[in-house]
Amino acid sequence: METVKHDTLRGTTAYKSECFICNQGCDARVHVKDGKVVLIEGDPSSPVTKGTLCAKGLASKGILYHPDRLLYPMKRVGKRGEGKWERISWDEAYDTIVRNLTSVEKKHGPDGVLLATGTNRGWVGYFTRFANAYGKQCMGPGIAQCWFPRMTAGILALGSPALENPYYEGSKCLLVWGVNPTSTWPAKAVSMMEARSRGAKMIVVDPLLCETASKADLWLQLRPGTDAALALGMLHVIIEEEIYDKGFVDRWCFGFDEFKKRVKEYPPERVAQITWVPEHLIRDAARLYALTKPASITECLAIDQNADTISTTRSLSILAAITGNIDVPGGNVISMPKKHLERKVESGLDYLTKEHHEKRLGSREYPFLAGEACVMPSPSAHNYTVWQAMLTGKPYPVRAVYCHGNNMLVAYPNTPMVTEALMSLDFFVVADLFMTDTARIADIVLPCGSWMERGGVALHDQTSFNGIHLQQKLAQIGECRTDYTVLNELAARLGFGERMFPSDDAYFDFLLKPSGITYEELKKKGRISIPDTFKKYETNGFNTPSRKVQIYDPRLEELGFDPLPAYREPTESPVSNPGLAKEYPLIMTTGGRVPVFRHSELRNIPVLKEIVPELLVTINPETASRLGIGDNDSIIIESPRGRMEARASLTEGIDPRVVQVPSHWPGKNNVNLLTDNKACAPMIGSAQLRCQLCRIRKKEEDGVG
Amino acid sequence: MDSILLIDLDNCVRCHACEVACREEHNLAFEGGPRWCRIMTVGPRQAAGELQMDFIPVMCFHCDEPACAEFCPVGAISKGEDGVVLVDEDVCTGCRLCVYGCPHGVMAYNEATRTAGHCDLCAVRRSGGLEPSCVQHCIGGALQWVTPEELATITRGEHTLMLGRTCYVSSKWNLQHDV
Repeated sequence: METVKHDTLRGTTAYKSECFICNQGCDARVHVKDGKVVLIEGDPSSPVTKGTLCAKGLASKGILYHPDRLLYPMKRVGKRGEGKWERISWDEAYDTIVRNLTSVEKKHGPDGVLLATGTNRGWVGYFTRFANAYGKQCMGPGIAQCWFPRMTAGILALGSPALENPYYEGSKCLLVWGVNPTSTWPAKAVSMMEARSRGAKMIVVDPLLCETASKADLWLQLRPGTDAALALGMLHVIIEEEIYDKGFVDRWCFGFDEFKKRVKEYPPERVAQITWVPEHLIRDAARLYALTKPASITECLAIDQNADTISTTRSLSILAAITGNIDVPGGNVISMPKKHLERKVESGLDYLTKEHHEKRLGSREYPFLAGEACVMPSPSAHNYTVWQAMLTGKPYPVRAVYCHGNNMLVAYPNTPMVTEALMSLDFFVVADLFMTDTARIADIVLPCGSWMERGGVALHDQTSFNGIHLQQKLAQIGECRTDYTVLNELAARLGFGERMFPSDDAYFDFLLKPSGITYEELKKKGRISIPDTFKKYETNGFNTPSRKVQIYDPRLEELGFDPLPAYREPTESPVSNPGLAKEYPLIMTTGGRVPVFRHSELRNIPVLKEIVPELLVTINPETASRLGIGDNDSIIIESPRGRMEARASLTEGIDPRVVQVPSHWPGKNNVNLLTDNKACAPMIGSAQLRCQLCRIRKKEEDGVG
Repeated sequence: MDSILLIDLDNCVRCHACEVACREEHNLAFEGGPRWCRIMTVGPRQAAGELQMDFIPVMCFHCDEPACAEFCPVGAISKGEDGVVLVDEDVCTGCRLCVYGCPHGVMAYNEATRTAGHCDLCAVRRSGGLEPSCVQHCIGGALQWVTPEELATITRGEHTLMLGRTCYVSSKWNLQHDV
C-alpha cells in the first residue's frame, strides 16, 4: 500500500497512520499541507475499518491546534490547585521530578511513589514496562473497572481473551452484551452491521434501548448488574435442553459436570425474577444463540462493573465455549499477537519480585488485580486501597504520584475521596494534553502529544488482531514530547535507562522483531496482515493448566474463592438493601457512552460538543411524570455519597425503575460525585458502577435546588 | 443519470460520523459552523407491538424543483445538469432567504464566509472520482453511493422514497413507492 500519497484533489500529502483517539486503533489517512494537518479521513484500503472512521477520529484535528493545548512544561507557583503556573524547561521539569520522587522514596520507601495511567492509547504497554522496570506499583490501564475482569476471565477459562475478538465474517448470530459498538467500537460495528445486513440475527443485552439494541432481533432489557444471572440462566436452558456442542464439551472442557450442577440453581423462572427479563425471552435468546451457528459474542466494560465481575465474564466465556463457538470463523477467535510482537518481554514483568506483588496495595484482597495471581502483564494497585493509603498512611504511606494520561479526578469513582487523597500528596506530576481537572492540582505538568504527534506500531487484541498497523508522527505542537520519549528520558534520569530504549523508533524495532522487519520498513509497507487461523487448540490444547477450557477452576479454590461462576446481588440494590432503596428508590447505571466523546476527553472540540452539548440522563416518562420532571428539565441526582446536576431526557427505552447517567462529565455533572468505590467485586476489586442507588428531583428555578 | 445517495434507514446507527466527516471535509468544523448533515431520532415509541427507535440522516435532497433557488433574490442557487443543487458563493449575498425558504431545513448560513451553503454531495471529492465523505465514513452502511441500476437492484422498487438525488429505503417504514 502507499503510505505517503500526493492528493491532487486537495494539494495535500496524505500519510497512512493509526488513529488512537480511543484504544481501538483504526487505519487513518492524515492530510498535511504546508506542514499543517488539514484533514483526517478513514483509509479505504483498510481491511479492518473498510474506509470508515468514527466521529471522534474524524475530528482529531481539533485537538492538534486547540488554543488550550499545553505547549511547554510548567511548575506550580501558587497553592495546590490555585491555578498559578510558571513555564519551565524540560530539563528543569525532569530534575524536579527526579529530586522529589527520590526524596519521597528515601523517606517512605519505594512504595511511597505510585504511578498511574489511563486507557490504552498505543503506548500504555510501554508505560507498563516503565512502571515494572522502575519497580513501582501502578494503577492502570483500565484496571478493575474495565478490561481486567474480562481479560482475566478469558485467560483463566480459555487461555486467551477470545471474547474480545468476535469474528464477524460468517457469523450468523451476534450476541452483543452490555456494549453499544456503534458508539464505542466503530470498527467492530462496521463488520457487525455488515453481518446483520447479510441476515445474521442479533441479540442485545442492555438496560437501555441504545442504538445497537434498536437494531436487535431480541433485546434483553435486564436489571443493571444482573448479567451473571442472565448468562447462567441461558446456560441452564442450553444444558437442560442439551443444545450445547457435546463433542467439544467431552473433548475440550474441564469441570463440566460440576458446572452442570451449578446452573441447576439458575432456572429461567428464578432468573426472570432476578433480571426482570421475561422467562420466554431468556429461553428464546439461549436457543437462538446456541442453535444458530456460528455465533459470536461482543462484550465490553459493562460486565466489568458489577458485584462479581469475574463470575460474569467467565460465564460468557463458558457460554461461547460449550456452544462450540471458540476459535471458529463466525465465533470468537483466539488471537496470536505475542507471536508477532514482543508483548510479553515488552511488559517488563520479569523486573518484578515476589515482594513487589505482595506489597502492592490490594494484593491480599484482590489477587487477580494486584497480587501474584494476576494474569495480566500490568498488575495494578486497587484504587480505593490506594486512596486510603494516601489519606491514612496505612498500610504504608503513598506520598508521590506520577500520572501519565489519566484524568483521575473525573474518571475514578468517588471523586470527593480521590480529590482529598490527591490534594494531600507531597508531590504530584501529570502528563497530558490539556489542563485537565487532575492536571490543575499537580506540582509539575508535562505536555504530551496526541496520536498524530507520535509514531507507533499497532497490534492489539481488541480490534486489529489480524494485522500490524503503522502509526506515523505527522505534527509537532509546541514543546510537546511523545509519551515514549518522556518515559525514556525520565527512566534515564531515574537510573534505569538501560531497561527502556534510547529512542521511540528503537522501541518500535524491538516490537517488530518477531515479524522480521524494522519500523522504517513498516513505514513503507503500511501494514502487515496476519493470516487468520482457527481451532489452534487442536495442536497443543488451550493455554490453561488442564489444556482444556477451564470451567471449574481449582486456582480460584486455592485462593479461597468459588471455583465456579455464580450470581452475586449488587451490594446496593432494592433486593440487597431495601431500607436504603426506600430513600434512594432508583437504580442508577452509569458508564454508557455517547459516540462523540472518549471518556473525559473531546468536550472541548466544537464539532463534537455541538452534537452532545449537555449531560442527558435517561429517565422513563412514567417515573419523570411522578416526580414532576419534564423533558430537558434541570435535575438533581443524589446518592448516599453526594449530589450532581444534569438534564432529563425522557425515553421509554429505559425501565421506570432505572436511570442511566452518562459518565466522565466534569464539575457538577460528574457522576463520580455519587459513586461508591468501597464495595468491590471479589477477586479483582471492581467498583459496582452499573448498579448503585439514587434519587432524582427537579432543580428549582432559583437554582438553589 | 449520475449516482444517487441511497439512505438505508435499517442501517443508520446514529454514530454521527457523517455529520463530522461532512464538516471536516468542507472546513465547517469551527464553533457554530453550519451542519449540512444531521441525524434525526424518531422514538422510541410503541409500533407494531414493540418499542422502536429509528434514526434518519437528513441532508440536501437536491429537489427537482428547489425552493431555495426560487427564494434566492440574486440567482446564486441553481440546479445543474447532473441534478445537483449548488450555491455560487461569489454571487450569494448572505441574505438567508434560502435558509428560511427550504422546506427541509437543510440550507445553512456560514458565519465565517457569510454565505449560504448545503450538501453539495462532496463536489470536490466527486471530481476526483471519490464517493461523498459521509458515504465513505458511514459506520452502519446506511449511506451508499449507487448508480440508478444498482439502486433498482438493491431496493427492487419497494419501500423507497426518492427525493431529487437522494433515495430513502427502509424494510420497516412504509415509504412511498417512487423508483
